[in-house]
Formats: sequence, C-alpha cells, structure tokens
Amino acid sequence: MRMTFDRGTVLLTPTAAGESPEGWPGVMWDPRVTRWRAPAWRRGELLRRCAQEGLAVEGRVGEASRWRVYPWPLVSLRSYQGAALCAWRLAGRRGIVALPTGSGKTWVALGAMAEQAAPTLCVVPTRVLMHQWWEAISRLYPGPVGLWGDGKRRLYPVTVTTFESAYRHMATWGDRFSLLVVDEAHHFGQSAQDSILQMCAARARLGLTATPPGPGPRAERLHELLGAQVFSTKIEELRGKHLADFQRISLVVDFVPEERRGYDLDYGAFRSFYLPFRRRSPEASWVEFVREASRSDDGRRALAAWRASRRRLGYHRAKAEALRWLLSEHSQRKVLIFTPDNETAYKVASEHLVMPITCDIGRAERARCLEHFRAGRLRRLVSSRVLNEGLDVPDAEVGIIVGGGGSLREYLQRLGRILRPARGKMAVLVELTTRATPESRRFRQREMSLGESLPAVSLRGKAGER
Amino acid sequence: MLDYVEVSGEIAPSYLGEADTVWLRALLDAYERHVGHQRRELEEHLQAPLSVACDPRSLRRARLVLDRIWPTEPGVGIGPRRLREELFLAAAEDPDRERVVERVARRLGLRPRVVMDSLFADLPPQRRLAPMPAGLSPWELALRVNQATAQSVLRRSRRVLVELVGNARALVAQARWGGLMAVARPAREGAGLTLEISGPLSLFCRSLVYGRTLAALLPLLTRCDSFLLRADCEVGDRLRRFVLRSTDPVFPAAEPRRFASQVEARFFRDFAKLAPDWDIIREPEPLVADRWLLFPDFALWHRRQRWRRWLLEIVGYWTQDYLRKKMDRLRLARRGDLILAVDRDRRCGPESEQVSRVVSPEEVVGGDRVIWYRRRVDPEAVLRILEGQRPGLPRPR
Repeated sequence: MRMTFDRGTVLLTPTAAGESPEGWPGVMWDPRVTRWRAPAWRRGELLRRCAQEGLAVEGRVGEASRWRVYPWPLVSLRSYQGAALCAWRLAGRRGIVALPTGSGKTWVALGAMAEQAAPTLCVVPTRVLMHQWWEAISRLYPGPVGLWGDGKRRLYPVTVTTFESAYRHMATWGDRFSLLVVDEAHHFGQSAQDSILQMCAARARLGLTATPPGPGPRAERLHELLGAQVFSTKIEELRGKHLADFQRISLVVDFVPEERRGYDLDYGAFRSFYLPFRRRSPEASWVEFVREASRSDDGRRALAAWRASRRRLGYHRAKAEALRWLLSEHSQRKVLIFTPDNETAYKVASEHLVMPITCDIGRAERARCLEHFRAGRLRRLVSSRVLNEGLDVPDAEVGIIVGGGGSLREYLQRLGRILRPARGKMAVLVELTTRATPESRRFRQREMSLGESLPAVSLRGKAGER
Repeated sequence: MLDYVEVSGEIAPSYLGEADTVWLRALLDAYERHVGHQRRELEEHLQAPLSVACDPRSLRRARLVLDRIWPTEPGVGIGPRRLREELFLAAAEDPDRERVVERVARRLGLRPRVVMDSLFADLPPQRRLAPMPAGLSPWELALRVNQATAQSVLRRSRRVLVELVGNARALVAQARWGGLMAVARPAREGAGLTLEISGPLSLFCRSLVYGRTLAALLPLLTRCDSFLLRADCEVGDRLRRFVLRSTDPVFPAAEPRRFASQVEARFFRDFAKLAPDWDIIREPEPLVADRWLLFPDFALWHRRQRWRRWLLEIVGYWTQDYLRKKMDRLRLARRGDLILAVDRDRRCGPESEQVSRVVSPEEVVGGDRVIWYRRRVDPEAVLRILEGQRPGLPRPR
C-alpha cells in the first residue's frame, strides 16, 4: 500500500493485487482523483491496519524522519508535572493534561518534547503566547526553534505557531511533525479550527488546558482528535505550595441614582423584547436570539439598548471610585486590572494613568512594558482580554476585575494570572460587581459552581464611600 | 451578520441597488466631513440616523466595507508610544495624576491637554480619517458591499460548482495556489466548461477551512465572459444553496487587466498592427484534455473566414519534459490548432547545462507548430503559420 500526504489528507494507493483499503475507518473513495483518501490525523490507525493485514507500506507520509532533532537536555519537573507526563505516556502519548493557570503547563510540554525528541509543532492561541513559548523552548532546546506567524516564516524540527497560522498552513506542513502540542486545548472540539487537528499527521498529541470542557459533544470530539483527559489537578491542591496563596473578594457597588435610571431604561427596553423570545424558545442560544432580533425594528432597538446597558455597566462612577481606592490601597504592589472591553481599558488608562495592554498595542511596545513591569518600574497594567490566557505576567500580586469575566473559565484564567508563587505571597483578586444587575446574578451562579472549595469574601460599598 | 431571504432552499443575499445610492451618498458625505477627525468622533456621529432613511442592516454592511477601505492616519504631534512610556513610568513614581501630567507635559514642551489628547492617537479608535485617494461613488460602494456580502456567504461554503465561458486560468491558478482541487469537464451544452472546486478534506466533513480561499475566487470570475456559480453553504446550522450569476451586481469596476508579461503585451500590439485581417483575443476559454486544463494566451481569429481560428500559447521557462507533456495533452485534447512560442533562453532542468548545443524545436517536441523566440515573439512567424506559408505545414482546418 502506497501512502502519500496530500494537503491535510493521506492518499492510499494499492500496490499489489488484492489490496484494498475499502471499509477501513475514515477511508473514502475520492472520485476527484480516483484514489482512496483519509484525513491525515488517522495516519497512525492506517499504519496499524496495514500491519495487521500484513501489507507492506510504501512511500512516507511526512518528512519527519528526515529532520534532525538536537538532543534535548534533562528537563526537571515538579512532582505533579512529572505525574502528568507519566499519565500521558501511559495513555499512548495522546491526551489532555488539565492544570490550573500558573502551575507550569509549558513545563509538561517541554518534558514531553524532551522525552519524545522528535519533530514537534506547538500550536498556541495568540501571537503573544507564540513568542512566549518560543522563548521558553529556546532557553532549553539547543537547536534552532522555528516560528510561524506574526510575519515570521521559519519552519524547523521544533516550531511554534498560532492557531490562525496553523489553520492556514497545516495542509502544507501537516506531515512534518511527529508530536503535536496544543496549548489551551479547550478552544477545540466544536470549532472551525478543528481542521488543524484533522490535517496534522502527528500521532503523538498533547493538549494543555486549565479549563477542560465538561462531558458533552465537545469533550467527545476532543477525545477523538487529541485523546482523553489523562491528568488533572485543582487550584486548591497546589495552593500555598506550587501556587501562591490567595484571597478572593467581591466588592458590591451600585450606580448613582441618575445612572441607575438610565441603566434600568436601557435594560428594560432589552428585556421587553428578550423575555417573550425566551418564553417562546427556551432552548434557543444567544446567537439565535441575535439572529431573530436583527430581523425586526423592535429587535434591533432591543439589541441597541442591550449594548448601551452593557456600556453603562462596564464602567460607572462607583466602579471608578472603588478602583481609585483599591489602587491607593495597593500602591506598592503589582496590580493587574481586567476590563470588559478595550474602550474601558483606555478609559481606565487615562483616568488612573495605568499602561494598557490590548490587542491594539504593538508587540514591541507590549514586550517593553512587560519588561518595565518585571523590573518594577511599572506597577500597574490594564487589559481587557490579552492578559486572560497564558501570558506570563511576572510577579503580579493583585488582580482587580472591573468588568467582564462572568464565566467561570474567564474568572479562573484571570485568577491564575496572580498565582505565581513567591515567599510569603498572598495574592488578592477583587471583583467589582454592580448590585441588581446581570453582573451580580452571574457572580452568584459562578460562586455556586465553585462551591465551598474557594470561598470568597463579599463586601458592600457605595459610590464615593470607602 | 448575513442578510438574506430564502426561496425554496436557495438563499438570495439582499444586494444593494440603484435605490440605495441616495443613503450611500449621505454615508459617504458623513465620512468625507470627518476627514481629519478621529474615527471615534465619526462613530458618535453615526449613532444618530442618517439624514436619508435606510435599512439598518444594509447600513451596517456598508460601514463595515467603508471602515475597511477608508484610510486613516495617526494624529499629529509627538509619537504616542514615547508619550505613553514617559507618562506611565512617571505615574509609577507619583500618585498625583495632575502633577504627573503637568511634569511630563513640561518636559516634552507640550500643554497637559495635548498630552492626554495624543496619548492613544495611534490606536484604531483615535486614528484620524484621511482623504480617500480616489473618489468613491455611491454605486461603486454599493457594488463593493454586494461583493463583500457574496463573499461572506462563500466563506461558509465547502464546495463550489462554476459553469463558465471564457477565461478560467486565474480562477484555477488561485484555487490550486490555495490548496483546493479543481475538477473540470466540458459544459453539458454550448461552449465553456464546468469546474468543481473543493478541498481534499471536504470529502470527510463539513469543513469550512477552504471557505476563505473559495471566497477569494469571487473577484476572479470577472475575467470570464459569463458564469453561473452554485455553492453549498452552511448558514444557520443548515446547508443551503447559494447561486451567483454573472449578471448579479457584485463586481466593482475592476482594475484594467494586465498582460502576464511584457512579451505578451508586445506580441499583442505587434500582431494587431501586422495582421489587420485577424482578430487577436486575449485569454480565450481553456482546452480540456482528459483531467487537465490548458490555457492558451491568445485566440487568433480571421475576421471574414471565421472557421480559421488558431490558439497561441507563449511559454517562458520550460524543460524538455514540460514541453513533451504539454504536447501529449494537446494530442489527448485532439487539438492541432495550438501554436507554441517557446523562449529559447529560458530552458531549465539538467539539459540547461549543455548551453552550447543548439536544439531545434522539432527536436524537443517533435511538433511543427512550435516557434522559438528571444525577448520578442515574431508576429510574422506566427502569421506565416496562420496563412499556411510555412514549408511542409498542412493548411489549417
């Protein structure tokens, strides 16, 4: 049987009489080229099937074996990182490792790469993370490390790329790697980007996440494409030892009467359209609601009112006052401020003279700011989403959530940003929630799902009052 | 978000028409009035309805297109990056906001107000609108919006079927470049051919990984004389049929089509001057040879004797193997009316080491309708073939 890689798939050509891959899992007849074809991620299964049936395999799917990988040094891991790596190895070098943010998931990947010592592709969500991974690998790996994305086009046996670049180019170089490392693997499972995993021929796969999806179709799909969840540990198990100890505080604030009136008006206009829709279609998703709303004038007005209410809720006078007070309280500590959107981040930046880290700020400027932050020349940063996932923010001790982060996943990611351990460190995460709004409802729901394991302190305050 | 109506399983996007040019003019005026102002000021201005009534969904689509094409520039003054660094580093030393701004402004020789106004002047919301380099008419804008709409539908497709007459070279080249597969067959009726364009992975799943490349094919359809495109698109969790015709208003004024090379441009000019009895047509329809498509550069057509029609392909870089394969495919297509003009100096491959050896075209491909050229295709040599004056050459059919 001859096997060749063709743009994210494997073409199978019988080379002897009686050979036929008909009925093999994932193999289909392609009338466009009059050959048998299978998606590249099934390459391992196909090779096993050939071996079972005693078929000699010709051709080589991939150039992995032509690439020379430099010998890796010994990677020293913490106990739980070593356990995660061992579980992955026992699962046939396929699977997902779930570790809390800040606990060193990258080290597990480095351990896997060193152990495998084979051509490896690391796929990460953003350009910032791509550079961060590149630096982490370059510090250990003695050979050149490739970078594909953010204007860079260097493909080496060990390469880091972004989801977006992998989505565009996996069809070209999906056969060149033996190990695929996927950071923030929870992004996959039911998205268009699953093609990245489908078009890659690497048999060994390691997914990393802090927030694995719960049981359901997404988890099943991830199981198929990356492997089962082979290891997980929770924040409370590492707290105080491998992660900093921390306090969670919820500071309940309220609108001033004039703001409350405006908010109630906007939110009321939205609810008058939304509630009847919800009664009619209790199972409908938010996307379906937006689709229906955008088809009528009333619906469009409701959407505009919802947007206006969100703007009011994102940053108002009480939140500004509370933030001013918190910044003065923690004036000597390193503080990260999380906002619901970039507009609010710039507003906070101008009002409180805090450097913003957003997607609009260029890579060089961002790196310079993080360097200032590391050296203590800057002690505050504000961001909407850039700091949420994976970005290594050195030594932050206090997190202030001004808005957004309603979901458990986003909240835990933000919490993870301040948990890098240090001697005697007590990290603080303060969340500002506005009374009698969806913010406070979401907070209650989230606290219920966190349960007793991570109790939060709830404080109440009024605008302009300490 | 897509704006469409559905008729018996087929989606028809709501294209903008002549009637929409009135509000599009008002929208363009709003942009032009804000040239020199920050983009966020325009945003605030457009929160209020336009002076002319319009469908909000159409307005949103038009604004998306305009925001993409309208140029912006950072505000004048000191570089915002330096300003940010100076200001935020100073703020880390001193908790008094006003004092910090005052001090930094003094150091940079600016007024405090200018410091705060310029702080984010280079970031998208605060960039200033620049004048549009070439005037954009409302109708041209409508066509661009329609094209963006059609492309947003195509981005959700995994396979397209195009029946076309006329040039398909750019379409096939772009499809192949984007990692797609184009399967061609002659049209069921009349001239032209049917192209099925899809990706290797489309066989297994509803992958949208090819959507972007499929959408990028749309502007290239202008190069065909006529076409009918059908696509299966995933819209609202269902598969729907999308049909696009050459008469649909989705093609803004295209850039003038350029020749692929100077050699082609020169031959076109020289031949038109030399042979007034012959029409010279660029990029005629491709030839189908088994599973292959051949793209001649020119069709040469006698003005009075319409049965006298020849095709000419100008070959730049070549190898012996390449030319042989090409002739084999021509034989498969049973076409004896194609003339190959081959650049003598652009031979590649291992044979090119034997530069001293002079090889005749007949020796390479064994054909008698091959002419050599250097820098310039001799129109007289081509005309001699057309007129059957070349010794030993049969008269054309």
